Amino acid sequence: MAVYLVERSVFLEWIGMLARHERVYFPQPVSESSFRFNRVGSRSLLALEDFDDSSRVKPFRASACVPPPVRSLAPDNELLFTFRRDKAGDCLLAPVLDNSRRILAGVRPCDLKAIALMDRFQRAGIPDPYYLARRDHTLIIGHDCLQPCDEYCFCEAAGSLAWREGADIFLTPQPQARLLVEPLTDQGAVLLADAGFPICEDVKGCRARAAARRATPFGRRFAAPLAQVMQVVAGSWDSAVWEQHADRCFSCGTCNLVCPTCSCFDVRDDFNVEDPGSGRRTRRRDACMLEDFAEVAGGHNFRKSTAARQRHRVMRKFVYLPDRFGGTAFCVGCGRCRRQCTVAIDIFDIATDLLAGAGEGT
Amino acid sequence: MKPINPHVLTPTMVRIKEAADMTGHERFFRLRLPRPLGHRPGQFVMVSVPGIGEAPISICCGPGDHDRLELLVRSAGSLTMVLQRLETGDQMGIRGPFGTGFDLADFEGRDVLFVAGGLGLAPLRSLIEPLILDRQRFGRITIISGCRTPAEELFGREMRTWARAPGIRVIRLVNDTAHLPWDGEVGLVTAPIAGLDMDPAATLAVLCGPPVMYKFVIMELAARGLAHDRIFIDLERRMRCGIGKCGHCQINHLTCCQDGPVFRLSSVESLPEALA
Repeated sequence: MAVYLVERSVFLEWIGMLARHERVYFPQPVSESSFRFNRVGSRSLLALEDFDDSSRVKPFRASACVPPPVRSLAPDNELLFTFRRDKAGDCLLAPVLDNSRRILAGVRPCDLKAIALMDRFQRAGIPDPYYLARRDHTLIIGHDCLQPCDEYCFCEAAGSLAWREGADIFLTPQPQARLLVEPLTDQGAVLLADAGFPICEDVKGCRARAAARRATPFGRRFAAPLAQVMQVVAGSWDSAVWEQHADRCFSCGTCNLVCPTCSCFDVRDDFNVEDPGSGRRTRRRDACMLEDFAEVAGGHNFRKSTAARQRHRVMRKFVYLPDRFGGTAFCVGCGRCRRQCTVAIDIFDIATDLLAGAGEGT
Repeated sequence: MKPINPHVLTPTMVRIKEAADMTGHERFFRLRLPRPLGHRPGQFVMVSVPGIGEAPISICCGPGDHDRLELLVRSAGSLTMVLQRLETGDQMGIRGPFGTGFDLADFEGRDVLFVAGGLGLAPLRSLIEPLILDRQRFGRITIISGCRTPAEELFGREMRTWARAPGIRVIRLVNDTAHLPWDGEVGLVTAPIAGLDMDPAATLAVLCGPPVMYKFVIMELAARGLAHDRIFIDLERRMRCGIGKCGHCQINHLTCCQDGPVFRLSSVESLPEALA
């Protein structure tokens, strides 16, 4: 497959052109400090960081995109089905699946990994038809990171920085405001075929230049290899660390809402106000940090304490889901949960404290 | 790759053939299905009233190639309260069956001890029925069923009928007679276990009840020498999907809706969240 070397401004113009007849999502500023994967329109300001000037603050931080791009595949308040009653009073139901094509552009390695992991999760057992309807009609344009987002990033330690799976096209920043544009799938190649981008004559050299430019270490690092961190978390059920990180927690669930591998949901039915014989069922994000998440009808709560819920959240990322889905950590190291937490609870710190408590990496 | 069923989260509307109050807060439904459900004992369905909501309800009738579905619904929330008002001829939405359920082959030639607390009898009935229907295929059956007061007893008449079948003993208990007439025993479901005529090497026990019941029943069964791989427990969790995705029913790394709700005790006893 042909690889291209393109001026960044030309590439961004091309994204703008694509957006005229495709649904394209790209990280866009919504305030001074926050970015969102919004649909690209004619007035959208598209920007990508520079290769040469690392002193400059990034025009956006990949992980600052809240919610993460995977939410485009499982949006909040997602419609599951509509219903209406006929004249005989019988209820007729119709599932509503979104099979429309979309392009997610500018997805960072941590989020690529999160999407790949959610693909595994949603396809397993009885597949989730709503997620997969969207996913199977989505093209992803990934973008490499040469600098960590900020002091909270630990994507390299979480094994995400080199992630490419799931991307149809992958972009790597190059000197002189250019981008290496590599198709990784046939669909990606087809999309690029008509773009008219100049062919890259030295792909290996371009990749090497980016690799040499990449910060090392890249973000925060655990005091032990990731596999060992996962093992220690798995053996930490009775650790006092859970309590230490729970006493200031409000159980607000923000960490769940911004996590790219949190997918728990609740369902809700609504009647149409103007026509109460009809209505809809939607699903909305739920959060295992909320107090009543594991409460059953009789009132028994299987995770009553904040510490038990905190432990469940961390275990799910480092133990439960990896056990079931190929051994890869479901915490991708994006740092969102720490960045958005009002009381600075940090999954990296929790793992680090567990590691220290286990006498590892000290 | 597995086939994707676009309807898996959309219920099928099913007609109620028969509806009757069983107690002051439990209503029994018999539905007529458009096609046999093909369920296993111990499985559950997600029951909906569109516009109100959805909840997991155990199937309480035995398996087989029939178009009948029986459910016992306790009033516990907004949906189940609305369900109490549904009558013959009304519709409810059904999805499923979900979960692993019991494998009848496991019970062939075995003595089976059932211990049910309150509403726990409903899911166990889906296994008791086929065992009674095919008596010679299975060993002796003992059913211990307890509830708070005589007014709250479920399937009382049916239990008396079961007791007349050969090789079946039924022990009906209440915690308190509440000054009502009562022809059973008074006490907790744990009480009769010590005195049962039971061969632990030939017996399987099946438990379903409130979370607090399991610990004490398991202690009694262990005292009788019953190995933990011979004890089945039917666990209750909050569920929103039935397909292992909503996260509510997670028990450590397992999902109750897909890996359960029926488990061998030996397979979950190392999981701290299973019986906590």
